[in-house]
Amino acid sequence: MLTIAKNLYDYRELIGVLAWKSITLRYKQAYLGIAWAILKPVTLMLIFTLVKSFVGIESGNIPYPILVFAALMPWTFFQESASDGVNSVVGNAALIKKIYFPREIFPITSVLTKLVELGINFVILAGLMAWYGMLPSIYILWVPLIIAYTVLAALTIAFVGAAINVYFRDVGQAMPVLLSLLMYASPVIYPLQLVKDKLLVQQAASEWSDALYTLYTLNPLAGIIDAFQSVVLRGAPPDLTAMIPGAIMIAILLPLSYLYFKRAESYFADVI
Amino acid sequence: MPAIEVSHLTKEYRLGALQGLKHTLINTGSRLIGKTVPERPLFKALDDVSLSIEQGEVVGIIGHNGAGKSTLLKMLARISTPTSGSVKINGRIAPLIEVGAGFVPDFTGRENVYLNGAILGMSKQEIDRKLDEIVDFAELAEFIDTPVKRYSSGMQVKLAFAVATSVESEILIVDEVLAVGDLAFQRKSFGRMTELIRDNNRAVLIVSHNIRQIERICTRAILLDHGRLARDGSVNEVCDEFFSGSNDKIAYDAAKSSRARVRASGEAEFLSIAAVDESGNAVSEVATGQPLRVRVKFRLDVPLVKPELIIGTHTTDFFYLNASSTAIFDARPDFSPGTHEVECIFQNNPLASGIYCFRFAIYDSDRRAIFIGDNLGIFTVKSGRDEAREEGLRMLDIPATWSIQGHAFDRARAA
Repeated sequence: MLTIAKNLYDYRELIGVLAWKSITLRYKQAYLGIAWAILKPVTLMLIFTLVKSFVGIESGNIPYPILVFAALMPWTFFQESASDGVNSVVGNAALIKKIYFPREIFPITSVLTKLVELGINFVILAGLMAWYGMLPSIYILWVPLIIAYTVLAALTIAFVGAAINVYFRDVGQAMPVLLSLLMYASPVIYPLQLVKDKLLVQQAASEWSDALYTLYTLNPLAGIIDAFQSVVLRGAPPDLTAMIPGAIMIAILLPLSYLYFKRAESYFADVI
Repeated sequence: MPAIEVSHLTKEYRLGALQGLKHTLINTGSRLIGKTVPERPLFKALDDVSLSIEQGEVVGIIGHNGAGKSTLLKMLARISTPTSGSVKINGRIAPLIEVGAGFVPDFTGRENVYLNGAILGMSKQEIDRKLDEIVDFAELAEFIDTPVKRYSSGMQVKLAFAVATSVESEILIVDEVLAVGDLAFQRKSFGRMTELIRDNNRAVLIVSHNIRQIERICTRAILLDHGRLARDGSVNEVCDEFFSGSNDKIAYDAAKSSRARVRASGEAEFLSIAAVDESGNAVSEVATGQPLRVRVKFRLDVPLVKPELIIGTHTTDFFYLNASSTAIFDARPDFSPGTHEVECIFQNNPLASGIYCFRFAIYDSDRRAIFIGDNLGIFTVKSGRDEAREEGLRMLDIPATWSIQGHAFDRARAA
């Protein structure tokens, strides 16, 4: 962890330049430019709102469109930064074969790049909140922490995925599929409250219910999305019990993922 | 403290293609249940190389393709990790391994300068400070805000070279980048390289196939051969050795691939041709200025009255050099059927060092071709002199004397 922080500091300019490169590159020669960043969550929000009008999902006292948008923001950020991170090493093969710098810069840069798009989405979120006449509470100060946690979750996947992807390109191909499956296992379309009610209150799976709920919250995104919605929309503190299982998992897996990446790193140039 | 210290460096690669996920899983599975899995064979790109380079030294690394030069540079630049052995680097290292790695076509020249500079390890202030100099040197002031994809390839290379050479570092690594752009820019870039090397007290490593450039710039040279360190010493010595080694390789390749070009009437059969020494033993090497003795064996199936024999030499690309015919001897003998051996001696062989081939022909007294053969055998000429310094100057090596500013220089005595 210390070396990673030191590397981050030593190479902060390079990370900055590389992030600037991928952001400008993506939107150069595109008429809509940076507006593409908001297109995905906004479209999904519209679709889910449409679906919701048929199926009926209980969203409490929060209007469904803004609830789903607040879920889509951390979700899209996580999904895109994880899958970009996985492809970042292979995508920079030309550099890897020519010049040395710590290779973790590539996944880290992809994740940081996505932070910019997340920031743009906050503008939309603010607009939606104004539209529905919602005021942020003091708990909104949790947001940076929640996002930092999301960054760590994305890096956990990005490090190990990027390293394996060098040897087996299957990982890069499988990533979008796996991640879109994960979306259904995360409280994006439906709020976490529904799962809680089903399992903890109604004990829908009888004696397995509590265990199932813990399993569900092992997915760090469950806690992240719910916490994000709580602090931004509900004006409530995050539900820590929903976050702890996922946080423990990240705390164990992130160092392992990073160590694996560092071990594989020295052969990237030979194999890629 | 040496700038670069390499000890017992070995790098092995697995031959063959990388296996897919399926094979890896199957192999891991069979390894788990204790079966042996066929390993892909290893290839040693570098084999126990040790060397140490001091600050201020300019070292050329030479060797044939596949000798391990680029692998060595990759290890030094930390791009690849050694299988065993260690590399110690003291100081900031600036690789010029390939100029323009990481240029983004959609970015303007200016943006690419910042991007490439950052990749090479320059800080923003450093690039700000040097931007004008870089643009000036690349001669691209008008185009610096145009996307690089609209540049000609020469313009891209010039810009890349200008950025790469503006990195300040204690150790500079150069891999075949000396000749970029048009002739004028090549001269300029060569000047810049020399300046980088001479003005600053840094360690420089250059990989090049251009031995003359190495001889001009470097003080020391390292010859790699099939991954092993074959020679490490003063640049003239090592380059000479490499040069003669190169000759051997060309000869070997030529001999392997060469096929005699023969036109024969069927009445004679060619058996052998070789250069021989004074006592008649076949040799593969002769010296410039010494007699060249050629011995030919052939068999005749019919008697020939006063046949004409021709023995000569040509280059590996069939340029006829010299030949001698027995047609000028009115008293030449008749030949009976059977095996015959003749010898021809060229006095003072003038050929410059290199690889040459023999040709041989037989005509009957009516000038009807009985046998005409080119490329029948190969021999090497060595000059024994410092040939690398005059590489490619000539085909004939004829002793010369000079008179310069009133002084006489005798090439024969200079050797």
